[in-house]
Amino acid sequence: MSSIRVRLLLSLLAMLALAAGLIGAVTYRSVLAETEALFDYQLRQMALTLRDQGEIAPDQVGTLTDEQLDFVVQIWTVDGRSIYASRRHPNLPARALLGFADVKAGSQVWRTFSVATRDRVIQVAQPLQIRARLAANAALRSVAPLLAIAPLLALGVWWLAARALAPLQRVAAGVQQRDEQSLAPLPTGGLPDEVEPLVRALNALLQRLGASLDSQRAFVADAAHELRSPLTALKLQLQLLRRAPDEAARAAAVDALGAGIERAARLVEQLLTLARSEPGAARGAFETLDLGELVRDAVAATQPYAVSRGSVLAYDAEPGCRVEGERSAIGALARNLVDNAVRYSPAGSRIEVSVGRDGERVRLRVDDPGPGIPAADRERVFDRFYRRSTGDEDGTGLGLAIVRSVADRHGAELTLDDAPGGGLRVTLRFAASPSERSMATTGTGATPAASAATSTT
Amino acid sequence: MRLLLVEDDRMIGESLRSALRLEGYAVDWVRDASAAHTTLASERFDLVLLDLGLPPGAGPASAPPLRDGLDVLRALRARRDATPVIVLTARDARGDKVAGLDAGADDYLVKPFELDELNARIRAVVRRHSGRAETTLAHGGVVLDPATRQVTRHGEPVLLSAREFAVLEALMARPGALLSRAQLEDRMYGWGEEIESNAVSVYIHQLRKKLGADFIRNVRGVGYCVGAAPAEPA
Repeated sequence: MSSIRVRLLLSLLAMLALAAGLIGAVTYRSVLAETEALFDYQLRQMALTLRDQGEIAPDQVGTLTDEQLDFVVQIWTVDGRSIYASRRHPNLPARALLGFADVKAGSQVWRTFSVATRDRVIQVAQPLQIRARLAANAALRSVAPLLAIAPLLALGVWWLAARALAPLQRVAAGVQQRDEQSLAPLPTGGLPDEVEPLVRALNALLQRLGASLDSQRAFVADAAHELRSPLTALKLQLQLLRRAPDEAARAAAVDALGAGIERAARLVEQLLTLARSEPGAARGAFETLDLGELVRDAVAATQPYAVSRGSVLAYDAEPGCRVEGERSAIGALARNLVDNAVRYSPAGSRIEVSVGRDGERVRLRVDDPGPGIPAADRERVFDRFYRRSTGDEDGTGLGLAIVRSVADRHGAELTLDDAPGGGLRVTLRFAASPSERSMATTGTGATPAASAATSTT
Repeated sequence: MRLLLVEDDRMIGESLRSALRLEGYAVDWVRDASAAHTTLASERFDLVLLDLGLPPGAGPASAPPLRDGLDVLRALRARRDATPVIVLTARDARGDKVAGLDAGADDYLVKPFELDELNARIRAVVRRHSGRAETTLAHGGVVLDPATRQVTRHGEPVLLSAREFAVLEALMARPGALLSRAQLEDRMYGWGEEIESNAVSVYIHQLRKKLGADFIRNVRGVGYCVGAAPAEPA
């Protein structure tokens, strides 16, 4: 029953039946009224002619003798003796009132008209049934053409429906031919107005899908390409280890291989972090987080690396700076910011990390005394795998891409500036958690702060 | 043999340099396109191993910008410099390979690769470049096989150190051609390697001891050669 064609066909047939019924009923009623008037007139005329002239008028003989019309003339003496009946009938009506009357005789109802002369009563009668049958016949005749063309109409509707639905079928075939490789828009030319919005909506969806797929493909292609360098290095380091001619060379090769594995592992981890924070990735639960605590953890985690470079990580936080966010994502953001600051500053640098309030917002700031980033490059550094220079640092080129991606997801504003002492200042401004303002302690499952400022860098 | 390695990745560069030195090559390593360009313009190398994805680096302001290794290669060929170049890159698309070879590369090797294959390709490219069909160098009963790094004299194996081998290979590549002390030092040492004083004389002396006193000739004040030196009267 979900086929439009079948539904159209059934609806048409139902409407035809209804129309036939209506036409039949109306015809029946009007024809019945007409025949009643006509036959009543004839009953009366026959009776009056018989009374006045003692015989039936010539123009009425045909009517009287027509068995279909079943007129019966009865004559009684005044004392009620039946002396004449024009036609034999199992049940003739009894003598009725003068004038018109409906008389029941047996199972039949007769319409009678009686007149009285001095010595006899003349009654002309006709079964009412006749009139109904005539009306019914007339009604049937009026409906007949409608019924006759019903199959034609049905065929027509079937064909028209097929024609009208052909564009839909073309669209369906077009969609079916599309696979994940071909997301070209469907043609909208020659489509009926009813189908065009559907196709336009489909095309818009295909376009969004294509854009999303393209960005995914680009990501995967970039990732595959970037994974090649660490793998090439690993392969070379392993071969070098196998060829090491002496103990010292072997020890150096083992160290190099260890560093290579660490770097490959770090790249994979960073790729995963970025993939999780990309738009379209499944969103983790937002909760109320103490930003100061998360950043302190990040500083603590980076401390060994800073120490190995002879650098100092200074950390300062106002207590209770709370934001709404995804714990692992904000943690990754903080770790990347702190790690970048240490990595791209000269050995023995002092890196300042602070968390504090900035009006209604919560601010995370990292200042490093490194080379900084020229204003012209400040947009590009957020591109994944973009590395500004070939220092001796084995950066993955993903740190700032992760920071930006997480900031965008949290509606945080991300800016790059010159640090007061030269070098780079990264500032992130989060909308403060609602519970922060009301000074409530904790709350989980709160709604994300989605309406805050977009990143402007 | 002196190779220039152009590679921006620190780990790959370090490993490759170590591996190539183990093969007895003198290796210089630069990490960006500008450095590669200026080095190639000022020094002579037997072969270049060129990565394509390179940072531009800080070149002279007047020079045309070099965006990647392909630009370096084109600039090299535009100077009519025929130094053999093997491209080592992660770009594995057919289009990239075609573009690399058409830009003037002698060979194209996709990362990650096996050191054995790289070494074989280096030997093949050098052999082709010198116009030799034989895979070994032979002169006066001495046969040098660059692939196995073995030297024989009248069929008897001769044991040589890596430096001795480098000197002998340089001399045997073009019998009769004179190589100066500085040229031989270039073949033996990469940048940053400490050159032992008198090194060339020492190695020549060792080689003469192992291969016969008259195998390597000395043209005073000019250099060394194997076979008949044009400057020396017979």
